[in-house]
Amino acid sequence: MKRTVPLMIVMVGGILMILQYFIPHQISQTVFAYYTDWTPIIVAFALVLGVGSLTRIHSHKIRRKAKNWQYSYAVLIPLFGMPVLAHIWPVSLSGGMESPSIFHFTFMHVQVSIQATMFSLLAFYIASAAFRAFRAKSALATVLLLSAVVVMLGQVPIGELLGRWLPETGLWILRYPNLAAKRAIMLGVGFGMLATNLKIIFGVERNWLGGTGK
Amino acid sequence: MYETIGIWVGALFTLAIYSFLYKENPIYRLAEHLVVGISAGYGMAITYQITVKPRLIDPLLSGDHWILLIPGILGILYITRFIPRISWLSRYPIGFYMGTSMGVYFPLTMKANVLRQLEGAMVPLYQSGMAWYEVTGNIIMILGTLAALIYFFFSKPHKGLFFGTGSKIGIWVIMVGFGATFGFTVMGRISLLIGRIQYLLGDWLHVIE
Amino acid sequence: MNIWGKMLNIDRRWIFLGIGVVSIVPFFINFGMPVRTTREVESIYEYVDELGSDNAIFISFDFAPGTQAENMPMSVAVMRHAFYNDVPVFMTANYPLHHGMMLAAMDYVFNPTTEGFYEDVDFEDWRELREAGVTAKDELVEAWENQGNQLPDGATGWVFEGRDYAALGYAPVFSLVILGLTVSIETQYPVDAHGNSTGEMPMLQEHKSLREVDLALTSSGSGACVWWVTFAREKIGLPIAFGLTAVMATDYFPYLQSGQVIGQMGGLRGAAEYEVLLAENGITPSTDKAFVGMDVQSAAHLLIILLIVMGNIAFFAGGFHKKTLLKGGR
Repeated sequence: MKRTVPLMIVMVGGILMILQYFIPHQISQTVFAYYTDWTPIIVAFALVLGVGSLTRIHSHKIRRKAKNWQYSYAVLIPLFGMPVLAHIWPVSLSGGMESPSIFHFTFMHVQVSIQATMFSLLAFYIASAAFRAFRAKSALATVLLLSAVVVMLGQVPIGELLGRWLPETGLWILRYPNLAAKRAIMLGVGFGMLATNLKIIFGVERNWLGGTGK
Repeated sequence: MYETIGIWVGALFTLAIYSFLYKENPIYRLAEHLVVGISAGYGMAITYQITVKPRLIDPLLSGDHWILLIPGILGILYITRFIPRISWLSRYPIGFYMGTSMGVYFPLTMKANVLRQLEGAMVPLYQSGMAWYEVTGNIIMILGTLAALIYFFFSKPHKGLFFGTGSKIGIWVIMVGFGATFGFTVMGRISLLIGRIQYLLGDWLHVIE
Repeated sequence: MNIWGKMLNIDRRWIFLGIGVVSIVPFFINFGMPVRTTREVESIYEYVDELGSDNAIFISFDFAPGTQAENMPMSVAVMRHAFYNDVPVFMTANYPLHHGMMLAAMDYVFNPTTEGFYEDVDFEDWRELREAGVTAKDELVEAWENQGNQLPDGATGWVFEGRDYAALGYAPVFSLVILGLTVSIETQYPVDAHGNSTGEMPMLQEHKSLREVDLALTSSGSGACVWWVTFAREKIGLPIAFGLTAVMATDYFPYLQSGQVIGQMGGLRGAAEYEVLLAENGITPSTDKAFVGMDVQSAAHLLIILLIVMGNIAFFAGGFHKKTLLKGGR
C-alpha cells in the first residue's frame, strides 16, 4: 500500500499515457480530456505543501529566536496577508484582486520593484566578473572571448557603426556554430529526459517517494 | 494618487535593493524576505481564484459534478505529507502526476528534442543561390553538431581519429557557442538594469521620456 | 604589488560606478542609433501582420518580474500589433507571478498615458450589444459609438474584453494546461482573470481550442517556451513564436532552424526590432522603451569590452599568467 501501489500507479499511468498518444481512438481522447481537466486541479493542492513548509520554517525561526528571526515576519505577514486581501477581506478601492486594490498595489509596486531590481544587480556583477575573470589564458579561452566580443558588439547599434561585418559575423556565429553546439546539448538533454522518463515509469528511479520510502 | 504612491514605494524599494551594491544591510534583507512572502501569497490567491474555485469548488457546490470529488480527494492527499503517520498517502497524487506526465512527455519530447533535431541537422550543404558563408555555415553546423555530440560521448575514450579529433573539434564549437551565450548574457543583464533606470528616471523622477 | 596588480585588485565598487554612469548618461544624450531588423524578428512581424479578425493568437506571459525589462516590451509590441489588426488575443501565464505580468502588460497598453493606447471596454459594459448578437468588430465599434461612447484623444482604437482579448492567466501545471488547451480552452479556463465566464465570450465561441488558433507567442524568461514547442507545436502543429530573454536566446536557435518556431525575439534587441517594425509601418506612433534602451546597451557593451581588454592587458603585462594565485579584490 505504501510503496507498491504508488509505484503501480506510476507505471500504469505512464504506459497508458504513452499508448493514448499512439492510439487516437475516441475512448483514449476522452480519457485524455479528463486527464488534462483534472490534473491541474490535483496539482493545485501541491502549493499547500510549499506554503506549509515555508510557514513551518519561519515560525520555527521566530519561536527559537534564531539569527535574523525578525525578518521571518516579512515572509509570514504577506504570505497570509495577500490571500486575505484578495478574497476574505478585500480592503481596496474596487475590491479584491482588481486594480486598484491593495493586493494589486503590493504586487505591482513592491514585488515587481524588488524582484526586477534584484535581477538588475547582476549587470554590475557581470561587469566586475568580466574584468576579473575573462582571460585569454589559452587558445580555447581566446575563442570563447572573441566569440563573446563579436556577438556583444554585433547585437548593439554601435556595432553597426563600427562596421557592417560585425553584426553579420555575430549573426553567423549564432546561426551556425552556436546552433551546432546548442543542438548537440539539446540532443543530449533530450536523450537524458527520455531515459529519466522511462526510469520513473518503470520504477528504477524512486527518489520521488521521498524519505526512506518505507 | 494611487499610481503616484505606488511609484514612490517602488522607487524606494528599488533604491533599497541597490544599497546592496555598497554593502549588505537590513533594508535589503527585509526586501529579500518580502519577495518570498508576497510571491507565495500571490500564488495562493491566484491559484484559488483561477483554478480551485471555478474548476472544483463551484462545480461541486452546484451539486451536479460529483465526479470532481476524485481529483479533489487526490489533491487533498498531498496535504497528508504534514501528518507523519499517514504521510505515505501523499505518494498517491504524486505518483499519479509523475507517472502520467512522464508518459505524456515521452513521445512529444522524443519528437521535439530528438527527431526534429536530427531532421534539422540533415540539410543540403549547397543549393543554388546560397552565399558562400551560408554553405560554410551549413558545413560547420552539421560537422559541428556531430563533433560536439562526440565530445559529450563519454562511453569511449577520446582517442583516435574519430573520437579524438572529433571531440577536439567539438570543444572548439562548444566554446564558440558559450562565447555567444556569454555575449547575450551580458546583453540581458544590462537590459534589466536599463529597465530599472527607466523606472527611476522616467516613471519616478520624470527627467527622461 | 606593481601597478598592474593594483589595477586588477581595484575595489569593484568603482566598476559598479562605471556601469551606473554609462547606464544613465545615454538617456540624456539620446543618440537614437538605428536598429536594423533581422529575419528572426521580421518573420514574426510578417506572420502577425497577415492575420485578421477571423484569426486568433495566444500571448503567453511566461516571465517573472525579474526579466520584465526584456520580456514586457516584446509582449506589449505583439499585443499592440494584434489589436491594430483586430486579431483576438488570448493571454495566459505559466506561473502565478507571470499572471501579474500579464495584468501589468494590459495596464500599460490600456493606460491613457501610453502613446497610442487602446481604450478597453470591460466585458460587462458591452453585454447588451453582445446579447443582441453584435460581435463583429466593425459593427461592434459602430454600435458602441452610437450609444454615445467616444474614443478618447490619442487612443488608437477600442478593444472589447471577450471579443479582442481574453485575460485567461495562470493555471497550475502549465505544460499539461497547454495540452488541455488543444482539447478545450473553456475547460482549462472556465473563468478569466477578472472572473468573467469565458463560455460567454465571442472569441471563445469562435476559437474553442488551440486547434482553432493561428499562433502562440511565448514571451519567456523560463523553460515554458519549450513546453509550447513540445506540447502545442508537436502535438497539433500550432505555429509558435519565441520572445526570449537574451540569456536564453542562444539556446533555442536549433528550434528556429528546424522550423519548429517561426521566429524569435532575443532580449531587448529583439523587442527593439519589433518596435522599429511597428513604428515604420505606422502601427504605433513611435518606438517604445526597448528601442530607447538600445543606446544604453551600446554604451554598456563598450564599457564591458573595455574592461575585458584592460583586465587582460593587466593580467599579461603584470605577468600574472605565470603565477598561480592572484589576490581577489572586494
